[in-house]
Amino acid sequence: MPSNTASSSSAAAAGSADSSSSRTKSKRPKYSKFTQQELPACKPILTPGWVILTFLVISVIFIPLGVVSLFASQDVVEIVDRYDNVCIPPPDRANKVAFIQGGADKSCTRTLVVPKRMKQPIYVYYQLENFYQNHRRYVKSRSDSQLRSVKDENQIDACKPEDDVNGRPIVPCGLIAWSLFNDTYALSKNNQTLNVNKRGIAWKSDREHKFGKNVFPKNFQTGNLTGGGRLDANKSLSEQEDLIVWMRTAALPTFRKLYGKIESDLEKGDTITVILKNNYNTYSFDGKKKLVLSTTSWLGGKNDFLGIAYLTVGGICFFLALVFTIMYLVKPRRLGDPTYLSWNRVPGGGR
Amino acid sequence: MKLYIVELSSQELVGAIQLWSLITPVNPASTWGPLIFIFAVSASKEAWDDYHRFLSDKIANEKQVWIVKHGIKKHIQAQEIQVGNIVWLRENDEVPCDLVLLVLLIHKVFAMLRLFKCGKKWTHTLQTAALDGETDLKTRVIPSACVGIDLELLHRMKGVLECPVPDKDIRRFDANMRLFPPFIDNDVCSLTIKNTLLQSCYLRNTEWACGASVYTGNQTKLGMSRGIAEPKLTAMDAMIDKLTGAIFVFQIVVVLVLGVAGNVWKDTEARKQWYVQYPAEAPWYELLVIPLRFELLCSIMIPISIKVSLDLVKGLYAKFIEWDVEMIDQETGTASYAANTAISEDLGQVEYILTDKTGTLTDNKMIFRRCCIGSIFYGNENGDALKDAHLLSAITSGSTDVIRFLTVMAIGNTVIPVRSKAGDIVYKAQSQDEEALVIAAAKLNMVFVGKNANLLEIRFNGLTIHCQNGKIILLSKGADESILPYACAGQQTRTITEAVEHYAQLGLRTLCLAWRELEEDEYLEWLVKFKEASSVLVDREWRIAEVCQRLEHDLYILGVTAIEDRLQDGVPETIETLRKAGINFWMLTGDKQNTAIQIALSCNFISPEPKGQLLLIDGKSEEDVSRSLERVLLTMRNTTSEPKDVAFVIDGWALEIAVKHHRKDFVELAILSRTAICCRVTPSQKAQLVEILKSCDYRTLAIGDGGNDVRMIQQADIGVGISGREGLQAARAADYSIGRFRFLKRLILVHGRYSYNRRAFLSQYSFYKSLLICFIQIFFSFISGVSGTSLFNSVSLMAYNVFYTSVPVLVSVIDKDLSETSVMQHPQILFYCQAGRLLNPSTFAGWFGRSLFHAIVVFVITIHAYANEKSEMEELGMVALSGCIWLQAFVVAQETNSFTVLQHLSIWGNLVGFYVINFLFSAIPSSGMYTIMFRLCSQPSYWITMFLIVGAGMGPIFALKYYRYTYRPSKINILQQAERTGGPIVTIGNIETQPRTMEKEVSPLSITQPKNRSPVYEPLLSESPNATRRSFGPGTPLEFFQSQSRLSSSSGYSRNCKDN
Repeated sequence: MPSNTASSSSAAAAGSADSSSSRTKSKRPKYSKFTQQELPACKPILTPGWVILTFLVISVIFIPLGVVSLFASQDVVEIVDRYDNVCIPPPDRANKVAFIQGGADKSCTRTLVVPKRMKQPIYVYYQLENFYQNHRRYVKSRSDSQLRSVKDENQIDACKPEDDVNGRPIVPCGLIAWSLFNDTYALSKNNQTLNVNKRGIAWKSDREHKFGKNVFPKNFQTGNLTGGGRLDANKSLSEQEDLIVWMRTAALPTFRKLYGKIESDLEKGDTITVILKNNYNTYSFDGKKKLVLSTTSWLGGKNDFLGIAYLTVGGICFFLALVFTIMYLVKPRRLGDPTYLSWNRVPGGGR
Repeated sequence: MKLYIVELSSQELVGAIQLWSLITPVNPASTWGPLIFIFAVSASKEAWDDYHRFLSDKIANEKQVWIVKHGIKKHIQAQEIQVGNIVWLRENDEVPCDLVLLVLLIHKVFAMLRLFKCGKKWTHTLQTAALDGETDLKTRVIPSACVGIDLELLHRMKGVLECPVPDKDIRRFDANMRLFPPFIDNDVCSLTIKNTLLQSCYLRNTEWACGASVYTGNQTKLGMSRGIAEPKLTAMDAMIDKLTGAIFVFQIVVVLVLGVAGNVWKDTEARKQWYVQYPAEAPWYELLVIPLRFELLCSIMIPISIKVSLDLVKGLYAKFIEWDVEMIDQETGTASYAANTAISEDLGQVEYILTDKTGTLTDNKMIFRRCCIGSIFYGNENGDALKDAHLLSAITSGSTDVIRFLTVMAIGNTVIPVRSKAGDIVYKAQSQDEEALVIAAAKLNMVFVGKNANLLEIRFNGLTIHCQNGKIILLSKGADESILPYACAGQQTRTITEAVEHYAQLGLRTLCLAWRELEEDEYLEWLVKFKEASSVLVDREWRIAEVCQRLEHDLYILGVTAIEDRLQDGVPETIETLRKAGINFWMLTGDKQNTAIQIALSCNFISPEPKGQLLLIDGKSEEDVSRSLERVLLTMRNTTSEPKDVAFVIDGWALEIAVKHHRKDFVELAILSRTAICCRVTPSQKAQLVEILKSCDYRTLAIGDGGNDVRMIQQADIGVGISGREGLQAARAADYSIGRFRFLKRLILVHGRYSYNRRAFLSQYSFYKSLLICFIQIFFSFISGVSGTSLFNSVSLMAYNVFYTSVPVLVSVIDKDLSETSVMQHPQILFYCQAGRLLNPSTFAGWFGRSLFHAIVVFVITIHAYANEKSEMEELGMVALSGCIWLQAFVVAQETNSFTVLQHLSIWGNLVGFYVINFLFSAIPSSGMYTIMFRLCSQPSYWITMFLIVGAGMGPIFALKYYRYTYRPSKINILQQAERTGGPIVTIGNIETQPRTMEKEVSPLSITQPKNRSPVYEPLLSESPNATRRSFGPGTPLEFFQSQSRLSSSSGYSRNCKDN
């Protein structure tokens, strides 16, 4: 602090005492690094060395990361079987919608061969494509409070048009619940039933906090239009894990939802027979349905994107580092050369 | 920000629409929240100001004052004073409303009498700090009709006061008073401003005074002049308005396109999506639903948080200016003051500086240097007449002319001598020149002790002379052109004109002193006319001036005084630096042409001969001026390519003609010339010149110190006042007030430039971050059936603009691209600000492109990394949001030039803050994002995705920046590199320190035009009586006997036109 602080405070005091002077002009500003905009600052400059080093470091980090990600993705064994078309008897394929909406038997058998050894847990997903769970009209059509507790079962404002049946509220209400996916899969390995565990497929937090233990389905799928699956009226919502999974809406039109878990290993060459009930209508909008069996890695399911992206970015950074190095060697520039200042070249000319 | 306000109201509209749940893509809170927050912030700021205003109003209103009713004094509150009440004031009281003086007790009398014979007048003095910002003492007298009334008589007093409609002119009060019997003198008695006590002044040197209130409340002179300054719009505001407009149009286009696409998708695709259950039949307005949803989604495209950020940041800029210790006048301890907090970035864009001369460039500390008495020059040898042995010996020998000369110097003025406790005499003057003369006279043994009624006391050579009822003598002093024409027939005025010429060449201010004895008859005859004139209600001042002029003839010219007005410290350097920065200087002064040119030379304003060229525009008639103007214009056109300093000089008279009849030519000339000197200009002409430059779309800065600069200061884009010796009037009207001229350099180059740079970054960044999130929403709409779903939840959307992105950027307020020293060494760098290089459509396009690129990066990476089983809505939204937050942290970091602790804290702290806030939200079971953030942060894929987003988003931008920085560097970059690598910074043509005193190095001037050295100046001002004569007014009637001639208008007129 400079010595003028003392005088400044006295000047300020005098100023305030003299109320006649309209503005206490004599008030001296307090000195501090902040008020003088003189805080010690680090002023980095982009020297070629630093920049090239940065790009090199990035590429050195990114390329191995990309390789690791790619390996993780490659480690995942995935069986994808599209069944939406195949599971319609050939005579009905001309009018799939009529078939799916009709009363005919919709059972279908698919055989899958395990390409590689799959370690448990093996996740069974169903994959829907061209299904817009993120549609504005759809995604809003739910009532979280109704799902949570019995006393809020009348909070169905957001659920239109699936809010009530003849004035009685639907539990769970809304388009999402109404369109519950209802294909079922029965798996068997080498003619032995393969147990698919359907417990614990939903998020724990959803089961415990979002879906009430004492909330039971009411008036569900009893309206004029029947959408998707039905619910067991005797099971509380928190136990209806298929519903809970379904109601975690997907952000993309192509999505997978967990159907169950196989808690035993599958060996290479195993044949898995799937007897499925092809109930769900994706034919009106040409949506694909796929059954997916997949293992998982530390990065999740099979997804090469991250690995490739990392390799690309790392590669580009390496390339840039190289280019900058060459540029630096070929055409070195002195940083801050005052001869580049135009006013130094043309004497006297400001502009 | 006009458009901005439109946009804001459309925001409100959006808020209203959003309540219509059908359309709303997000929770209403996300739109209403920021809006309410912003209004809450600005409302509480207003409320705070209002509360303080209320408090001070309350104090003022409830102040106890004495009024006299039926002869009894009683206390009432100030707000209860009514027109016609008689208010009783004691010494040092503040005047509560405008009063007409009735009675006062004489404690000290300062009579303002110039004649040795006059009536009896009681006067007292008044300090008028609040009114015109000056702390001068003003003399006030009781009206003639009231003379002799004492307090006992007061309650018997009845009369009529006729006063004009309230106005704000503090120099005029043309009223009449008539007292009813039993007062003998029941004639109509005219009142002037001299008889009033104006609100907010303080009573000094008088024990008590009584006055009748004439104006109260907001009708007082003070209340009327409290105008609301029109808000000034900076160039940058205008540019941002334009860009906002462009974004607004873009937003509409996006909304329309998406709206149409949405409806098409709905009719073709959505009907098939049975789970969406679109009704087959829909009312017509269903068509509008999707476009309106998109309007809501895109409403964040125009950042509303920018208002809050800018308010905060601009407030801080203003504070930085006030806090700057390097801009404190060490002599007086005056700090800079920013009255207008909103326009600091305009300082960095100044192209023209219009400066006053006296008090602005010069110190306004007048010192008597030389004189010419009769035909003898004193002080030529040593530059100080006070030490000239010849003069001293002439005084001792009692030479008549010298004695007379000194007498006029000592008493021909409005100076009030005040005897301090130590017994010394201190002079209080309204005019610096007069003070200088009186002090000089005192040093030459002619001590002016005091004047009162009919007694004048001067001490001469130790002898006290009491003059009483002697001869009537007219003492006159004034500019040469106003005195010399009235010289008595026989006198040779050649030496005088030569002396004037000589002194002007030296840059000294000259005054001619003259003297005439009046005959008793002549005086009495004149007195009648004068009284008549002074009781006219209409055009009183004009009439009085006319009457006064009749006395001015056959003057005996005593000699010439020369007063030096020293240049302020650092003026030449400041002008040099600022001109290097590409700022054009115009000097507007009321001074004589020669003096102006000399000052201009000595402060680097213009260069001497081979380098500089002066073009003179003059002429008395329209043809002359027009010819001269054309010639100058031609020369100017031819020399623009040459590296020559060409300046034109114009006087007020020619200027008036030029602007009136040849406006187009003059405007062209104004654009062509980088320097101009306008002498003998009136305040309104100063304002007119500002307006001409403004009309050519130049950013103008007007700097001045006196009342005559107020109009110019208000007219200019930026008004800077020097809180100097001529009071605070200019400083009050100004947007910025500084203590000395040289601070202007720092104000513009440091504060203006930083403000501009920071604001350019801040506003473009605000658009960048809003566009970023908006683009992601738009992209998302393409994979959500063009239905207007929001990817982000409402809490995040709200917090994004208000918290997550606004904190780091606020710290850009202390970012410095270049150090202050580099800027000072290379003022040319200001060009980047002047030309608006940092904020214009192309830089904006860069930011627009950057936000588009980043949106693509974030969106593509997010939807691919979080595909399939991970594509949960809330999670995906949070991943995209985190991506934006990470990117913006790195963008701010990359654009920051200097990292202080605060920068690191805010950039990285904000990132941490983002996670803390979201963890908190994730811990609330009822919130939509319950556990989401915990889940994400425990997934390695989340962090991998973040790194990828940062790498892919920043890599190319960093590479581009490096490329530009190294291979296509801007001047700013070069200087950055130079200062940071510590290399030598070489500038060709360093600023040389110029000699400060003007007497040195007075090189002969080259005036290419026919030299106007004709000994007698054709005075502009005397030919336009309305300009001078009208303002001759404020003087007691007899003051005119002194007939200070036109120059006395410098004292009388000083509030209006400091004529110099």
